Amino acid sequence: MNKIILKWLQLLAVCTVLSIPRLMAQTPTDAIMMDKGRLCVAAIYGHDTWDEYWEGTLKRSNGNIGTLTRQSVMGMFSLGVTDRINVLGALPWIKTEASAGQMKGVQGIQDWGVWVKARAIDFKVGPGSLGFYPVLGLTGPASNYLSDYLPFSLGLGTVEASGRGILIYELDMGLYVRAHAAYHVRSNTTIERDYYYIPGAGGVYSDEVDMPNVSSFGATLGALLLNNNLKVEATYEGMNTLGGADIRLHDMPFPSNNMDLTRAGLSLQYYIPLGNGHILSVIAGGSQVLTGRNVGQSTAWMGGLTYQFGVFGNKNTNATN
Amino acid sequence: MKKIYFLGTLAFVALAVFQACEKDLPTSLKFSPYAYESLDENGGTWKPVLLDSTTQIGIPAPEDASSAAYQAELADLKAASSDLTSDQEKAVAYWSGDGLVRWNEIARDLAAKYNLPPAPKPDGTYGAPDPANPSSIPNFPFAHPPYACRMFAYWSIAQFDALIAAWHYKYEYNRPAAYKTDVGINTHLPQNDLPGYPSDGAVVAAVSKRILIAMFPLEKAYIEELAEEHLNSLQWAGISTESDIVWGDSLGRGVAGKFLARAGSDGMKAAQTPKPISDSLRVAAKAQFGWQWDNLEAPTRPVGITPYFGRVKPWCIPNVEAVRPPVPPAPGSAEFIKDAEELKEITSNLTEEQRKIANFWSDGPSTYTPPGHWNRFAADEIVDHRLNPLRAARVLAYMNMAIMDAGISCWDAKYYYHYARPIQALPGFKTILGTPNFPSYTSGHSTFSAAAAAVLGHIFPAEAAKFDNWAKEAAESRIYGGIHYRFDADMGNEQGKACANYAVDVAKADGAE
Repeated sequence: MNKIILKWLQLLAVCTVLSIPRLMAQTPTDAIMMDKGRLCVAAIYGHDTWDEYWEGTLKRSNGNIGTLTRQSVMGMFSLGVTDRINVLGALPWIKTEASAGQMKGVQGIQDWGVWVKARAIDFKVGPGSLGFYPVLGLTGPASNYLSDYLPFSLGLGTVEASGRGILIYELDMGLYVRAHAAYHVRSNTTIERDYYYIPGAGGVYSDEVDMPNVSSFGATLGALLLNNNLKVEATYEGMNTLGGADIRLHDMPFPSNNMDLTRAGLSLQYYIPLGNGHILSVIAGGSQVLTGRNVGQSTAWMGGLTYQFGVFGNKNTNATN
Repeated sequence: MKKIYFLGTLAFVALAVFQACEKDLPTSLKFSPYAYESLDENGGTWKPVLLDSTTQIGIPAPEDASSAAYQAELADLKAASSDLTSDQEKAVAYWSGDGLVRWNEIARDLAAKYNLPPAPKPDGTYGAPDPANPSSIPNFPFAHPPYACRMFAYWSIAQFDALIAAWHYKYEYNRPAAYKTDVGINTHLPQNDLPGYPSDGAVVAAVSKRILIAMFPLEKAYIEELAEEHLNSLQWAGISTESDIVWGDSLGRGVAGKFLARAGSDGMKAAQTPKPISDSLRVAAKAQFGWQWDNLEAPTRPVGITPYFGRVKPWCIPNVEAVRPPVPPAPGSAEFIKDAEELKEITSNLTEEQRKIANFWSDGPSTYTPPGHWNRFAADEIVDHRLNPLRAARVLAYMNMAIMDAGISCWDAKYYYHYARPIQALPGFKTILGTPNFPSYTSGHSTFSAAAAAVLGHIFPAEAAKFDNWAKEAAESRIYGGIHYRFDADMGNEQGKACANYAVDVAKADGAE
C-alpha cells in the first residue's frame, strides 16, 4: 500500500539558472495526493552548478564567474485537507557563490510558496486509471533580497500566481506517464535603482521592473518497483518566458530577461514504512539543462528526507495515487 | 469542492487582472508643458562659452510680419495646428516646445545603451570600438563615464551658446510670435512674449541632432526621426512658422559645428591609449610611488578606460595640476589600514540601507553613468523651476562643464597615481558592485557628483544642502559597494568641488546673474 508519498523531485531540480527557475523548483507538478488528515513534511538539500550560460542565444563561459554554485535547503509540507484537496507549502534557503572573480555571493531565505491541488477527475480507463489534477499556486519573496543581482540574486522578487493542469495515466502494474502545463502570472519586481535600460525598448524611470509572464510544461515517465517501495521517474521539462530582452554581449543579466530552458532529470524515492501510518522516505535525483536562453546550463542534484503521518481523521490511511 | 475551485479560479483571475492594471512604467519625466517663469529678455547679451561672439553664426533678418511671404507661413501654421490627431497632440505635449529636457533624456538613454564594455573574444583578446567603423563589434562608442560626461558637456554647452545667439536674434529682429500676429492661430502650448524668430525649439533640435549623431553615429536615423518629429510638433503646436524653424535650425547647426570642431581636437581621440603608453603610466607610478593598479578581470583587459582622458582639453580649470589631489596614503600606512579596515567592516556587515545606497548610485554598465544621473537631477530642477530653454541650457552647460572638468581631473589623478583597487590590495576581498576598469584614486562618482552639486547649489541656492548631501551619499555609496576606500571618496568630493569652483566663477561673470 505504500504508494507514493510525495514526489518532490522536480521541485528540487533547484535553481538552474542565471536566475532562478523558481517555478521549476517549487511548483508541485506531480499527481500525488495526501489522504485527509495526513501530513508530509520534507527537508531537501539541492546543489546546482554551471560554468556556461547563454547570453541571449550565445553560449559562453565567463572568467569572472568561473563556476556558479547555488545550494539550497528547502523545507516543505503537504497536507490532506480532504481526500481530494491538498495544500502544499515550501520555503527555501539559498546560498550562491562564484568560483572566480571578485563578486560576493548571497545567502538567505528566498520565496514562500503555497499551492492548492485537487483531484478533479479520476476514473478507470482500460488497464489503468486516468486522473486530472488542477493546481493553483502563489509564491512571493520571503525576505528583502535583491532581485537585481543576477546571477547571484536569490530569486526574481516577484509575486507569482500560477495555474497548472496535471494529467496522469497509470497502469495497474505500476507504470505511469504524467504531463503538466502551467501559466505563471508575475507581478513587477522592485530593484534598488530608479533608472534602468531595457535593450530594444529604452530607459525606464522607475525602481519597478515589468516582469513578463511564464509558461512551463513537463512530461514524466515513472514506475513503482520493489513492491511499490521504490519510485523511479524520468522527466523532461521546460520553461518559457513570454517576453523580455536578451542579455547583450557581455552585459549584466536583468530580472526581466527572456529566460527559457529545457531540462531532463532522473529521480528516485524509497519508502520505509515505520508502522502506525508513519512513513519515511529518502529521495535523490539529478537533472541537466539541455537548452537555454539567458540562463545557466546547470547540472543539479539533490537529496532529502520526507516524513508522513496522520494528524487528524483516520491516521492509518496512506497516501494514494 | 466546487466552491474551492471557484474561489481558486477567482483568485487567479484577480491576480491576472491586477497585473493587467499595473500602470505603465514611465520612460520619461512626466510633466505638462509650462509657462516660463521668466523670459530673460536680455539673454542675448550673456557671454557664450565657445563662440567668439553672439553673432558668430549669422542668420538673415526675417520677412516682415506684414509681408505676403510671412502671411502665407501663418496660413500654413494655422492649417497645421488645427484638427490635430491624438498622436500629434501627444507629440506636442511630449516635446512641449523647446524640447530641451526631452533631448537631455534622449542623450541619457543613448549613453545607457552604449555603456557596454567590450566583450572578450574567443581567443581571450578584447576588441576596441572604432570611430571610423562604428558598426564593427564592439560598436562605437563605449559610453563609459568619461565618454558620457564629454558628450553631455558638448551637447549642453552648444545648446547654451546657440540659445544665447537665438535670444540675441529674437530681440534684434523682434518679430513677434506667430500667434501674436495672427490671434486666430490655435496654439496647443502656453503662449509667451518671446519674439518668434528664430524658433528656440528648432535651435535645440538642430544642436541635439548634430551633436548626438556625432557622438552616437549608429543612431543617425533614430535621431533624425526624433528631430523631425520635434520640428513638426512646433507647427502642430501653432507656435513656430516655417522661417522661424528653418533659421533656428540653421543657427543650431552652425553653432553645433563650432563645438564639433573643438571636439575633434580636444584630445579625446588619443584618450584610449595603446598598451605601450598605458604600460608606461603604470611603470611611472611604480617608480615614483612604489605601487601600481592592475586590471583583475579575466581575461585581463590590456588597457584601462581612457588613460589619457586627463589630457583632454578642459573648459574652466586652468590645467589638471591646479586641481590634482595630494598623494594617497601608501598601502600599509596607518591611514591606509584605517580606511581598509573600515571598508572590510562595512562590506561584511552591510545593512539594507547601505546596500540600497550602493545600488541607487551604482550607475554602472547599461546605465546613463553618474554624469547622466546628475543631468536627470538638473532636468527635474529645470521643470520644477519652470525655466525657459536658455536659462535651462545654462544650468546644464555649467553643470556639465564642471562635471567634465572634474572627470578630466579625476582621470588625471587615477592614472598619475595608478592606485590599486580594494580587490587588488586586500586579499580575498569581494564586492557587491563590479570594480570598474581604471585605478582607484580618486573616486569618479565622488568627483563628478561634487562638481555637479556645487554648480546646482550655486544656481539653486535654496536647495544647495540637498545637492551636497546627494554628492556625499554618491561618494559613500562606492565604499558600500566595496570598490573604493574612504580616502578615494572624500578626496574625490573635494576635487570635484575644486573643479566646480572654476565653472562657478565663469558663471558669475557671464551676465546672467
